[in-house]
Amino acid sequence: MGRKEDNIKRATEVMHNRERIRNLAIAAHIDHGKTTLSDNLIAGAGMMSEELAGKSRVLDFDDQESARGITINAASASMVHGVDGDDYLINLIDTPGHVDFGGDVTRAMRAVDGCIILTCAVEGAMPQTETVVRQALKEKVRPVLFINKVDRLINELQVTPEDMMARFQKQIIKVNDLIRTFAPEQHKSDWQVDVAKGTVAFGSAYHNWGITVPFMQKTGVNFPEIFEYCNNEQQKELAKKAPVHEVLLDMAVEKLPSPLVAQEYRIPNIWQGDLDSEVGKTMVNCDADGPLSLMITKIWMDPHAGEVAVGRVYSGTIKQGETVWASGAGKAERVQQVSMMVGGDRIQVPGVSAGNIAALTGVRSAAAGVTITRDKDETPFEAIRHYSEPVVTVAIEPKSMKDLPKFIGALRSLAKSDASLSVDTNHETGEALLSGMGELHLEITIYRLEEEQGIKVNQSNPIVVYRESIAADNKGRPFEGKSPNRHNRFYVEVEQLPENVIAALREGDLGDGPIRTKDAKEVGNKFGELGMDKDLMRKIYAINATTVLVNDTKGIQNLHETRELIIEAFNDVCKKGPIADEPLTGVLVRLVDAKLHEDAIHRGPAQTIPAVRNAIKGALLRADSVLFEPIQKIRIDAPSEWAGGITRQLITRRGVIEDMPVENDVTCVIGKMPVAESFGFSNDIRAATQGRAVWNTENAGYDQVPPELFHKIVGDIRQRKGLKEEIPGEAQYTD
Amino acid sequence: MASDEVPAGLWLIGIGPGDLEHMTERARSVARRCKKRYLEGYTAVLPTEQEALLESVVGPWERMMRPSVESPETLLAESRNDSVALLVVGDPMQATTHIDLEARCMEEGIGFEVIPGMSATSLAVSLSGLQSYKFGRQVTLPYPYGNYLATSPLEMILRNLESGLHTLVLLDLDPTGMGFDLPTPMSPSQAISTLEEMSSKWLEEGDGLDSTSVVVNEWEGMLLSDVGTKGQRVFSGSLEEISKIQYGWVHSLIIPSEMSDNEREAFSRRGAM
Repeated sequence: MGRKEDNIKRATEVMHNRERIRNLAIAAHIDHGKTTLSDNLIAGAGMMSEELAGKSRVLDFDDQESARGITINAASASMVHGVDGDDYLINLIDTPGHVDFGGDVTRAMRAVDGCIILTCAVEGAMPQTETVVRQALKEKVRPVLFINKVDRLINELQVTPEDMMARFQKQIIKVNDLIRTFAPEQHKSDWQVDVAKGTVAFGSAYHNWGITVPFMQKTGVNFPEIFEYCNNEQQKELAKKAPVHEVLLDMAVEKLPSPLVAQEYRIPNIWQGDLDSEVGKTMVNCDADGPLSLMITKIWMDPHAGEVAVGRVYSGTIKQGETVWASGAGKAERVQQVSMMVGGDRIQVPGVSAGNIAALTGVRSAAAGVTITRDKDETPFEAIRHYSEPVVTVAIEPKSMKDLPKFIGALRSLAKSDASLSVDTNHETGEALLSGMGELHLEITIYRLEEEQGIKVNQSNPIVVYRESIAADNKGRPFEGKSPNRHNRFYVEVEQLPENVIAALREGDLGDGPIRTKDAKEVGNKFGELGMDKDLMRKIYAINATTVLVNDTKGIQNLHETRELIIEAFNDVCKKGPIADEPLTGVLVRLVDAKLHEDAIHRGPAQTIPAVRNAIKGALLRADSVLFEPIQKIRIDAPSEWAGGITRQLITRRGVIEDMPVENDVTCVIGKMPVAESFGFSNDIRAATQGRAVWNTENAGYDQVPPELFHKIVGDIRQRKGLKEEIPGEAQYTD
Repeated sequence: MASDEVPAGLWLIGIGPGDLEHMTERARSVARRCKKRYLEGYTAVLPTEQEALLESVVGPWERMMRPSVESPETLLAESRNDSVALLVVGDPMQATTHIDLEARCMEEGIGFEVIPGMSATSLAVSLSGLQSYKFGRQVTLPYPYGNYLATSPLEMILRNLESGLHTLVLLDLDPTGMGFDLPTPMSPSQAISTLEEMSSKWLEEGDGLDSTSVVVNEWEGMLLSDVGTKGQRVFSGSLEEISKIQYGWVHSLIIPSEMSDNEREAFSRRGAM
């Protein structure tokens, strides 16, 4: 215990020494041992007992995470590590491995400068690892590699040392390919991981040992010895000679950048303000004096303190009791407490300085992605990018109406703490639509509501969120939408956006929401770089998810004045398309002509909005409206005798099998499957393989609903929403 | 009654502003002799106590709001075989949107006739003491709606000012922008603050003209309240003074351009409250 308190004291001291700080995350696939590793690092650094490590999982501080054996929240923990007599402060951010929570991964990556890519020696890098690493590189986070579960390779698969090296080499090449593809231009080669350079480690997180080439040179431990220790079941001794925390934290200290180094190249990537301004310079220099700039990456609910906001301080020092502005908030708020996180412990401190991770209470407007500053008008960090869009919805309502106010409040907090969750509450009926990344994501959210907030709820079956799009275009055949008073007419053409543009929109590279007139040129140029007509795209009005509105009219008087109304109508249709009131995706909407009443009073909201809405909906129908459904990639590993059962399960669920490599009598079925068919899959696959299958899924975009199912699916959606059974035709929108 | 019924068709009848006394004999007589009567309830508005009298003047009537006038299928179907009166406060054709009814009736071969009424706009000009030939295009100030705020009414006032013309400014009746509910006339303070918002938006976007000259709250104006009723009032002064006025229900505003000596005197006489 004494050691723990001593460590806390050292941590608060070294926090001010920017060269001696490392902010890092662990990027890994589910079940590859990330939480075990995190706990062993924390325990090794003296923040918890060694016996508990590997069993208790400090970072999984939600009860239910331990129960499910996966990590749900990106919590953070600070620890002190000594190298050559100097103390270093390691701020570790835990990240969820399950892809349902992709939003959390991105947010965690923004807060760190380096990451440990964790792979499994037996299974290799998995598809989700690639997703996570790509997110890290996109945020200019420097990677190192840790190959885990090496003991299993030696003991269970009985590989030879040569065999082992060959396997490792294969993994390293794969990781380096990723780095070459996704790392920022200037770091494509110097961020490559390399055994000889000490940027690759091997070991067993569970058995608490690890090794790198520099550590071998320092201590004399070598490969034959490792084989011997493993074979003789002496991993405990090995852990004493080469403790994993020492090896990995050494690697982090020596190979990963300090905030002082990293912020210089990361700030221009993640902050859009003027780099020559005072705050810009302070951030680039990671200066603890000067303007405050802190970005919130996570909110969690503390049973005692309420909402706790965790974020990275990029410049200045956040102090207890000071008054700050959260970007987008209407008023300044007082910081009640400032803390550092040590696993489950929140240690209150007077202030946290630039380069560190801070936990705040009292700032109620804070939400994931929000910037905290002292000056109201400071440029906020750009919105954090999301790689995924909600694909599943459930309707929930409190079992008892007396819980309604509490229920609405709890949902608001949940939506704030989880940006990949969207909540649509009907305040009168108390019904809420909860939309998220998958069935599990929503299950966990509801569990939290019931267990942590004590609100029992009724829930509907999960429903897939479909997307509406078009199969062709109506170029040269614009659709005319009339205002109710018939004095205003809008003419719209729609076409499909190219795949690469949709991908860029999905990643948030081009922005979202209305585009300010003064930004339109720059945004248009970005579309130009993606191969679209630059001059056309400079006339952009708005982006809504993956759909874009452009004003392609010429010299129409007063059109500019109705801009907000046109955008509102566009947003309405983006939210509810013509076939089934489902969101729109992948469409370029061009307003090609308009006739407006001279007097503003006759082209107000009641006139313009329905006219534009009708014009867009009619154009979509004219361009062959189609329905898309979300698809997930799936990978199932099981002993080959169960392969038949697995493929049958996939095929009855409209799945497609893309590859079935067999290795050491383990068959790996790789394919894809509509999310609509995936509900209850985990039970069925367990039954079909007697629980021998290991499987995982990842959202993988959208495919068109097969024509033979189109009418049934659309019919079901329309019935569920209480719409007329028949899909409206163009005539519906002509008058 | 059936014997002196007017021919089938849609009779668009102006009933004048404010008190029903302003209704012409012809309007009264035609309205009475129609088979069915509707009162259009969204482009202009009748004081409540006058509305209560309407039945005794023209016979039973129903209210018709924007959606049924703009999608007039029912109205037109009824007018095909019967005489139908659509009563409009003021002069029907002053609400430019009603020209659409004429067009639809012509398309469908339905009888259509307009009975003009006295208009609040001509009344306002008369009451102002300003010369009618010196008025430019009139404008209506719409309520702001979300981020939407039209600036063209302000631009029109500016253009009139440049040409030495006064502007009659009518005020919006429908804050929802949707025309479903009974009207809520814009108050003087809302009107002045809307003008100010327009000018700051317009200055921000900086499109055209000598923008430095627009200082709305230094302008002079004349407020005409409840014209055509017994309680009608006229007040002239600065827009700042006007924005503090609490009395009245339906208002319109005049932004005078350069005034002649006679006009200036008339303007000053209306400054005494």
